[in-house]
Amino acid sequence: MNLVELNNVNLIYQSLDSETQALQDVNLSVKKDEFVAIVGPSGCGKTTVLSIIAGLIKPTWGTLTVANKQPNLKENLTGYMFQRDNLLPWRTIEKNIFLGLEISKQLSKEKKDYALNLTEKYGLKEFLKKHPNELSGGMRQRVALIRTLALQPELLLLDEPFSALDYQTRLKLCDDVYDIIKKEHKTAILVTHDIQEAISMSDKIYVLSSRPARVKAVHTPKFNAKLTPFERRNTVEAKELFDTIWQEIQDEKQKEI
Amino acid sequence: MKNKKKFSKAHYDYLNKLHAKKLLIVFTQISILIVLLIAWELLTKYEIISSFFFSSPSKICKTVKELMTNGELIYHSRITLSETLIGFAIATGIGFLVAFVLWYSDFLRRVCEPYLVVLNSLPKIALGPIIIIWFGAGSKAIIFMCILIVIIVTILNILNSFTSCDSQLIALASSFGANKFQIFFKLILPNSIKDIVSTLKVNVGLSWIGAIMGEYLVSRAGLGYLLVYGGQVFNLNLVMTATVVLCVLASLMYFAVALFEKMVNKHFK
Repeated sequence: MNLVELNNVNLIYQSLDSETQALQDVNLSVKKDEFVAIVGPSGCGKTTVLSIIAGLIKPTWGTLTVANKQPNLKENLTGYMFQRDNLLPWRTIEKNIFLGLEISKQLSKEKKDYALNLTEKYGLKEFLKKHPNELSGGMRQRVALIRTLALQPELLLLDEPFSALDYQTRLKLCDDVYDIIKKEHKTAILVTHDIQEAISMSDKIYVLSSRPARVKAVHTPKFNAKLTPFERRNTVEAKELFDTIWQEIQDEKQKEI
Repeated sequence: MKNKKKFSKAHYDYLNKLHAKKLLIVFTQISILIVLLIAWELLTKYEIISSFFFSSPSKICKTVKELMTNGELIYHSRITLSETLIGFAIATGIGFLVAFVLWYSDFLRRVCEPYLVVLNSLPKIALGPIIIIWFGAGSKAIIFMCILIVIIVTILNILNSFTSCDSQLIALASSFGANKFQIFFKLILPNSIKDIVSTLKVNVGLSWIGAIMGEYLVSRAGLGYLLVYGGQVFNLNLVMTATVVLCVLASLMYFAVALFEKMVNKHFK
């Protein structure tokens, strides 16, 4: 069964002096527990796809379902993770983690314990009383992930969550996030411009064309499930797939010129 | 930060240097005041400048003593202070509420924009005659003048702070399904708290301007009244005394807000 399904989704942005078609007939499906990546040339509308799945934007036409329903922010079926950690500087790490629970009025003992348990499991427990500015970029992004997971969403939407970090931290965090998502049995959609990142983490990769975005190709990398994303980066399969996707995106960029 | 680890000698030298510099600054500040006061006193004592036009520190002290004994100083100060405080409180409170409403409704904000701009650039003293006719020549008119001067700046400053909240943070809250009130109380308000406090600081100054200006227009009592009256009868001692008292009161209020700001900043670092 597909957890997420987009059928011929189109989106047109309106502005005073123009209208821009961002998405054209996008078809996409994600199974439960699957890790899906979306790559494409910059500015093609990758983030728009996520915003639509999250329910932040309505498609101009076309249909989509998340767990057989229209996306609805109130139900917290999806958790969104942004490029920036967006931790509130005036709150402690603990209070930041509870933000989503507070807003959706679910601040119960069990939910709190669940969140605190995650911080313990993933090495953030000793920082609970600290403020975000006392943590490193990688730790802050992990806090952001746990803040999202605290709501126990079915589906995680990751919008370039590693791109604001330095290379070393990024590779490490990739492994951490992958590990957390697999252990907690979450379905995830990752938007990224980093092809290697997409290959190393996902079960399925959608390559989008340049604007208006259509699905140009779908790849399903086959890796030994025991390998971490970092280890996958160095396999022959990853390198071959990288070349293919690189060429596909390069073709799209050529078209723009 | 607060770890009690041993520092090198160079670090202590550095701290001492900073401390010495700070002391020097305070010392110079106080010296300038003392030198000015002594110069003023001596110049007027030997009539190098006229003590009639310039008064003198000793005469000001004498006037303060006189006004203290007959209770006038307390009486007038209390009137001006209460007008200022009431004006300050009402203008800040209503200004905050209006800013909230205008933040909440994009429609209202755009509707009100030109009105706010015009009201902001209008010299409020021009409304003096209208205010006197509407409110009579008393404390009410003065407080109204004070509110008028403070409220527009309050609205504009606070609204500006509300609307400048990072859109990414708002997107985050929306992704959790937050409604507009939740966005306000969880994000906008804590995010703006520093700006709000600095608005309070500006408002202290403005509300004194408002109260004194109001008293210039209509009053029968208050420090502004003493200033006008003293000027009319050429009693420069009275004028200078009222000015000094005004300085002291305004500084006290400013320091109270500054202290409040320190507390807030400590809480919302």
